[in-house]
Amino acid sequence: MSDRNQLVRDNFINAVNANILPTSTITLTPTEVGLSDTDVIDLFETQVISRHLDLQSRIMQKKGQSFYTIGSSGHEGNAAYAKAFRPTDMAFLHYRSGAFMIQRSKQVPGQTPIYDMLLSFAASKDDPTSGGRHKVLGSKALNIPPQTSTIASHLPKAMGAAFSVPLAKRLALSDEQSKNMPQDSLVVCNFGDASSNHSTTQGALNATAWAAYQSIPMPIVYVCEDNGIGISTSTPDGWIAANYKDRAGLTYLYCDGLNLLDTYQKAKQAEKLAREQGKPVFLHMRTVRILGHAGSDAEFVYRDMKDIEATEFNDPLLHSARILLENNILTQAEIVKIYQDVELRIAQVAEQVATKAKLESAEAVMASIKPPVLPVEVSGRYPKIVNEEDRKALFSHEKHNLKKKQHCAKLINWALMDLMAENENIVMCGEDIAKKGGVYNVTTKLSQRFGQNRVINTLLDEQSILGLAIGMAHNGFLPIPEIQFLAYVHNAEDQIRGEAATLPFFSNGQFSNAMVIRIAGLAYQKGFGGHFHNDNSFAVFRDIPGLIMACPSNGADAVAMMRTSVKLAREQQRLVVFLEPIALYMTKDLHDEGDGLWTSNYVTPAEAIVEENVSSEMKIGTFGDGKDLCIITYGNGYYLSRQAEKILSEQGIKCRVVDLRWLAPLDEKGIVEQALQCKNILIVDECRQTGSISEALVTLLAEAQADSNEKMINTKRITAKDSFIPLGAAAYHVLPSTQEIVDTATALVNKESK
Amino acid sequence: MTTLDSANNNSNQTKKRAVVICPGRGTYNKEELGYLQRLHSDKPELIEVIDNYRNQQGQVTISELDQMQQYSMRLHTAGENASALIYGCAMGDFQAINKDEYDIVAVTGNSMGWYIALAVAGALNPEASIELINTMGSMMTDGVVGGQMIYPITDENWCIDHQVVANIKQWLIEANSKQGCEVHISINLGGYTVFGGNKAGLKALEALLPVAQDRYPMNLFNHAAFHTPLLNETSNKAKSLLSPDLFNKPAIPLIDGLGQIWQPHSTNIKALYDYTLGTQVVAPYNFSKAIEVAVKEYAPDKLIILGPGSTLGGAVAQSLISQQWLAMANKSDFIALQKKDPFILAMGLPEQRTLTV
Repeated sequence: MSDRNQLVRDNFINAVNANILPTSTITLTPTEVGLSDTDVIDLFETQVISRHLDLQSRIMQKKGQSFYTIGSSGHEGNAAYAKAFRPTDMAFLHYRSGAFMIQRSKQVPGQTPIYDMLLSFAASKDDPTSGGRHKVLGSKALNIPPQTSTIASHLPKAMGAAFSVPLAKRLALSDEQSKNMPQDSLVVCNFGDASSNHSTTQGALNATAWAAYQSIPMPIVYVCEDNGIGISTSTPDGWIAANYKDRAGLTYLYCDGLNLLDTYQKAKQAEKLAREQGKPVFLHMRTVRILGHAGSDAEFVYRDMKDIEATEFNDPLLHSARILLENNILTQAEIVKIYQDVELRIAQVAEQVATKAKLESAEAVMASIKPPVLPVEVSGRYPKIVNEEDRKALFSHEKHNLKKKQHCAKLINWALMDLMAENENIVMCGEDIAKKGGVYNVTTKLSQRFGQNRVINTLLDEQSILGLAIGMAHNGFLPIPEIQFLAYVHNAEDQIRGEAATLPFFSNGQFSNAMVIRIAGLAYQKGFGGHFHNDNSFAVFRDIPGLIMACPSNGADAVAMMRTSVKLAREQQRLVVFLEPIALYMTKDLHDEGDGLWTSNYVTPAEAIVEENVSSEMKIGTFGDGKDLCIITYGNGYYLSRQAEKILSEQGIKCRVVDLRWLAPLDEKGIVEQALQCKNILIVDECRQTGSISEALVTLLAEAQADSNEKMINTKRITAKDSFIPLGAAAYHVLPSTQEIVDTATALVNKESK
Repeated sequence: MTTLDSANNNSNQTKKRAVVICPGRGTYNKEELGYLQRLHSDKPELIEVIDNYRNQQGQVTISELDQMQQYSMRLHTAGENASALIYGCAMGDFQAINKDEYDIVAVTGNSMGWYIALAVAGALNPEASIELINTMGSMMTDGVVGGQMIYPITDENWCIDHQVVANIKQWLIEANSKQGCEVHISINLGGYTVFGGNKAGLKALEALLPVAQDRYPMNLFNHAAFHTPLLNETSNKAKSLLSPDLFNKPAIPLIDGLGQIWQPHSTNIKALYDYTLGTQVVAPYNFSKAIEVAVKEYAPDKLIILGPGSTLGGAVAQSLISQQWLAMANKSDFIALQKKDPFILAMGLPEQRTLTV
């Protein structure tokens, strides 16, 4: 132990032995707050365990056995509010919540928090939460989804989870359907004063208050554990209270986190408001930070020594000792003995933990990137078969159109209509998706058919939309959130990248948040929009492990791919991004006005052949079987390439056009198989030259040919320019066109034939 | 201050840290006849309290039982006799542990061993101990409620066979679906599952269980369907006969049959009473979990199994193997470790007993 660690460790014993303890103006007794003497001892024991785990982690770090030293010291008061809530109240916790974890583990028999927490410090593969992938505070049994969040990015999903509890009740879903949270649950979520400044906190609190302000029940207790400092930057005095005590839609409570009795009492008040009245609470809890930000943080560099010492004297464990002594619950000797026994006990367990195996291969590390496929008895709850009569009623407004060919937007709408009817746990959320039916009518009539509880108009905040979806997924819903335009996802992408996608990985597959995120995007809207409505970059999704990305180019594919996406979410708990090319929503014709070649008949669920193996459905589509040229493309590029194909064919150039359909993971085998049959390859990518999927395709094809003795196949690519999309017709200067495809293809084939 | 202890310099460091495990029913067998007399004639005050209580109840004393010429299945295994007898032996063994060498960091037990654990940990004083143990042991004098049956769930290497565990779930559903049949899991006993049920239920399940090792499923003679809902009445009766005032806070942490830890200072006596006479009487006793919690949360140097008998050793070892404790992955790892530096010390085995007293 470094000097400071040893000092803090010793200070407790010295202060208790000498009976020199920090004072408090709070005069509550255990009885007054509804705690028995043994309850107080129990809480104190939790605090002591938490403290010694912090200290032990630093001992282990010196021996090269621990890889994580951000601790809970000074925040051990969170044990008191853990006791105030139920173990079935889902908790989204920040990293100083060791005492909360330990206290909650006492509410569920058979837990082994000391051992488990030490395993997580040691990154042992036996760590029952993350399987050695990260030190996270989490537990399936305790309803604590693990968070790696250091920036409060877990708040939006906590908000979503809270919204989902009364939602399940309003929808009268059976316990089996809303499988995770009892209907009288609340959600608890904590974070620090520094991270309260983060946009995720601001957004989540705003969304919560926005809902509560209009009397939507939001049973959640946000606990801001205010230790007054974020790494080295002090929080301005009074900042948290000044910000939150008069916030519309939020009830502000304050407690002294150094005092177990005060904290428990206020937490109970918060519980009552949240659980019984569905009112969200902002519980502002004063704490201190002891032992620096982390083991590596040399606090004395930026903090006055007197200040450090004063903070250490204000140790919540010493406050608890004072409470125990003042109320004649324990003697000084008993308190010290508990402290020393726990220390020894933890040291002994740590010795065993050090012998436990770590993750030893990439395969082992990556085993939980994809969550486990659900057993049929679970996934088989859905979909239900909707009888013809009910379907007729659903589609009554379209009865004259059902047999006619339709454009993509209408077909997606119909597919969603059927999917929502079949899967009662599907909930949609997004901006303007309800009565308006979305800005492109893709969700039209869904709100009328399924009600405002299942088709939710959200406020204008993408972080909150995605957080809402993730939170609902934690409660057994299958969310289909909509991001109105691709450009809007970028302010919220971490909700997908850092939160939704990592959940199975950091929980060893025990938690998942399956959903289908619909995003309208890509360019080519005729003369409309400019950059924000014609964004042509989805690079942000391409390197997210485990994420599935779909991009249909036409209505028939969109229907099949939407069904597959929902199936992937439902059966395999997968996270799917479904990118819908806006410019093709209403497109009907391909070559000539009125040819109707870009419309399709709607294949009803009954007509659809449901493949047993979903992964076999994530395949490319191929048009034509020419061998002169293989055009590889997707989305609008596929549409343009199909136009070009006809022109090229008339010139005697026989093509095949590959539609990628699934952008992640790529159907690599299918792509290579098609490409290698042709004399030339042309990649048409409507996204930018830099960072677009064209780069991956060139690499894929080059690698596929590298081991062959044959001459490399001539390969070229057409991409959008490295530019933002301008307004009006100027957009076409930076985007691929049919003519460019024809010209490039002709040159490529002619060069090859010379 | 320079006189402070530090974690690496604790005064108790020289002592070995042990978790004590208390035996349940079926541990005083023919070989154990005379155990008290052989090993505990130096503890008359312990035996006296028990014998006095039994005299008052008009029951045969444990001294007499222990000193009988012949072991009698009928007499020695009957609950009203076996419980007190086993308690006497186990408590004697606990007192015999060399406390200069061992620090007892926690106590647990199997099934009836829970009551003994309460006694050993000081949650019951000597008079309360025999009152509770004898009362609970005598619950079946008017006829044993249901029965128990034991069945292995490990392979020959003492590794849990998960297929068998899954099958058992199905077989239980099947057996319970038959008219008049009721059967439950009673104890998770390391490599064994003990079932508790009514006669018809046990019979129905027995018909479904494939014969294993030529001996199983095996009905346990004179055992009631403890740890199942069939004992609801018994639980109510126990609560009417026994007062919460019998209980104290334990002096040593206790680990129960759900894997809960009862700490000396923070134990809620009423909750301990409710668990003891309520929960564990009518709900499965997860001995495997108790062992898991004991090793993971205390990391003891040794596990000491009190006598009489040593039959619990296998179940403890199997529980450890299922946690890969001390890198033990199978039976031969366990045997090798026991040979080299035994981790489990069963006081019912003379050669291991010498390491504890």
